[in-house]
Amino acid sequence: MQSDGGATSMEVEKLASEVKHASLAPKPRFPPLKAHEISDGQVQFRKINVPQHRYTPLKKAWMEIYSPIMEQMGIDIRMNPKARKVELKTRPDTPDASNLQKCADFVSAFMMGFEPKDAIALLRMDELYVDTFEIKDVKTLRGEHLSRAIGRLSGKGGKTRIAIENSTKTRIVIADTKIHILGSFSNIKIARTSLCSLILGSPAGKVYSKLRSVTARLAERF
Amino acid sequence: MAATTDSGGVAALHRLKSTDPPLYLSPSPDLSHSARLACQHIFASLRPFTPKSPFDRLLADGFDSEQIWQQIDLQSQPLISTLRCEVKFFEKHPEEISKLFLKVSVGKKEGKDGKSEELEGLELDGEKDEGFDELEDGDEGLEGSDDVDDEEEERENEEESDGGGVDGVEDRFLKIRELEEYLEDDEAREYGIKKKEKGDGKVAKESIKEDDDDEDEEDGEDDDGDEEGEEDDDELGVLGLVDGDDEEGGDARYEDFFGGKKKTGSQQKKTRHDSSAGDKQSGDMDFDDKKKENRSTHEKQLEKQRLKIEEMEKANMEVKTWTMQGEVTAAKRPKNSALEVDLDFEHNVRPAPVITEEVTASLEELIQKRILEGRFDDVFRAPTLPNKAPKERKELDENKSNKGLAEVYADEYAQKTGLVSSALTFSDEQKKEASVLFKKLCLKLDALSHFHFTPKPVIEDMTIQANVPALAMEEIAPLAVSDAAMLAPEEVFAGKGDVKEEAELTQAERKRRRANKKRKYKDEYHACDRSFDESSGLNQ
Repeated sequence: MQSDGGATSMEVEKLASEVKHASLAPKPRFPPLKAHEISDGQVQFRKINVPQHRYTPLKKAWMEIYSPIMEQMGIDIRMNPKARKVELKTRPDTPDASNLQKCADFVSAFMMGFEPKDAIALLRMDELYVDTFEIKDVKTLRGEHLSRAIGRLSGKGGKTRIAIENSTKTRIVIADTKIHILGSFSNIKIARTSLCSLILGSPAGKVYSKLRSVTARLAERF
Repeated sequence: MAATTDSGGVAALHRLKSTDPPLYLSPSPDLSHSARLACQHIFASLRPFTPKSPFDRLLADGFDSEQIWQQIDLQSQPLISTLRCEVKFFEKHPEEISKLFLKVSVGKKEGKDGKSEELEGLELDGEKDEGFDELEDGDEGLEGSDDVDDEEEERENEEESDGGGVDGVEDRFLKIRELEEYLEDDEAREYGIKKKEKGDGKVAKESIKEDDDDEDEEDGEDDDGDEEGEEDDDELGVLGLVDGDDEEGGDARYEDFFGGKKKTGSQQKKTRHDSSAGDKQSGDMDFDDKKKENRSTHEKQLEKQRLKIEEMEKANMEVKTWTMQGEVTAAKRPKNSALEVDLDFEHNVRPAPVITEEVTASLEELIQKRILEGRFDDVFRAPTLPNKAPKERKELDENKSNKGLAEVYADEYAQKTGLVSSALTFSDEQKKEASVLFKKLCLKLDALSHFHFTPKPVIEDMTIQANVPALAMEEIAPLAVSDAAMLAPEEVFAGKGDVKEEAELTQAERKRRRANKKRKYKDEYHACDRSFDESSGLNQ
């Protein structure tokens, strides 16, 4: 950093000397800042907690997570088993400042329950988000009603959830009473609507038909 | 004149009487002539009693027997009815007869009139009979009447005869008294009855009885409606019954000739008619029984008929049985009576089939045959014809997709930008494959028919056609169907005015185009700027 500063000051001096001599100095050229320089040469960290149920899957899928982050994103990643956290750190040669955040989102998506190959879309695309909501946000259900609602959401063998995923190009994770949706903004909206209608009690067939019409309309737009 | 004619007529009567019966069988003009005279005489004698008769005298010359008879009938009918009434009246009121006699005695002339009236009334009986027999009967009737007259004379003849007709009967020509005397003489001559010696009713009775017996013979042949016999019977009843009074010898009686006493036919008729006025006296019953044995078949038939008629009439008068009445409710008929009667009503229900062994066997046979054939008459739903193209339905995939989300989005992006072409109309791989195969087949078939292509029936396709560059579409287009029809011309290019290529443009037009383009760009640029300024809230 100092060298940079030195370089710039040098350039300024040069320019100043030049100004003395010539009428107009050339326009300054500022190369883009590196991620390192933005934060003024300080290293930035992200720490993501690993829940109990994701510890073993993390161990299994560690390489899938590790390789794209380290190689393509240029972010240091390490697992802290004592604290049970995944730590991310910027490197000096990190290409983009937002990479750290993307990686953090990727890892947290994995912690939520998404698969690495689904979560990796977060790294690749900008406009993907993860939306979370609870069943009780939609409707207060207790006891068996709650269980039934959860059953309705996932369907037999998960077919309802998968059908929604496929038709809206999202990924859905139903974790007990929490529901996570990964996808683009509009798709999330559609998926969320279908899930809410399922929670509220409409049968799966009805939800399917609505889905069909909506997605068909969506597809026709292109 | 009257006397002469009268005597002529009487003489004719006598003549007729004297002739032997067999002579009547052969027609002779003498007999005919005398018969006519006799009829005329009798007619004339009765004429005073029939004021309403249209004939003054009997027209017999040159007339048919039927015509003569009709004339007589015309005269006698009203007389008979009046006489019947009078006789009935006398039946009811026997004292009237005595009065009649008294009247007669008071005024001989009048009495005679009364007698004569009776006489004439009785004479009428004779005229009722048909043919020449009537004359004989008439004689008998006359004789009968004579006897009656005798009786009346014996009793006190004081009574004045009833009816004004008696007054009108006698006139210059007809003297009843003379007639009576003559008749008495004649009778005496005929029968040798000592009328004066036995001036009691017995004689009269006997003679009457004889008359009745004679009449009986004839009545046996005659019809029922013989009123003469009836009148005689009434007479008998009035005067008193004739018991088996054995009189002095020398009187010829019926029994001597014909055996046991029989009930007269007239009495029989009397019982038959069962007149309400008449009293049925016990003696009649004996007559009834004896009469029944000697009835003819005709009479028996008639008796049967009569009984039947009585029965039927009695039944008609009674209340009908409930089956014959119109609408009968349960209250109006006896209990359970409808069960005994065979009621006829429409059964709207087909009677249940009787299941017999043959029926079951036939059914089973049919079932087995059908099973072997495999011919079950299943009902199939009639296929509905599609009136429009089946809407493309994107099937919801319920299988977990193998692709990761990133790949999905990558594919979507690629499709959007058109780097990768993909099928637009088919959603499924299998469908695609099937359609390709089918099109190959169609090509071959078309080749067979030398490419005489018949277009498919147009089905209105309401699906939206993607406005995709033709290059991409043409790649998958099959041979038979061109994709040029997929997009309407408007969809291909929506513009107006004269469209010219760049090469065709003149300088001025080129300049115009450029100016228009610049203007559009400027508008957009400035509009963008404006919106930015507004949003930022800067006022510059």
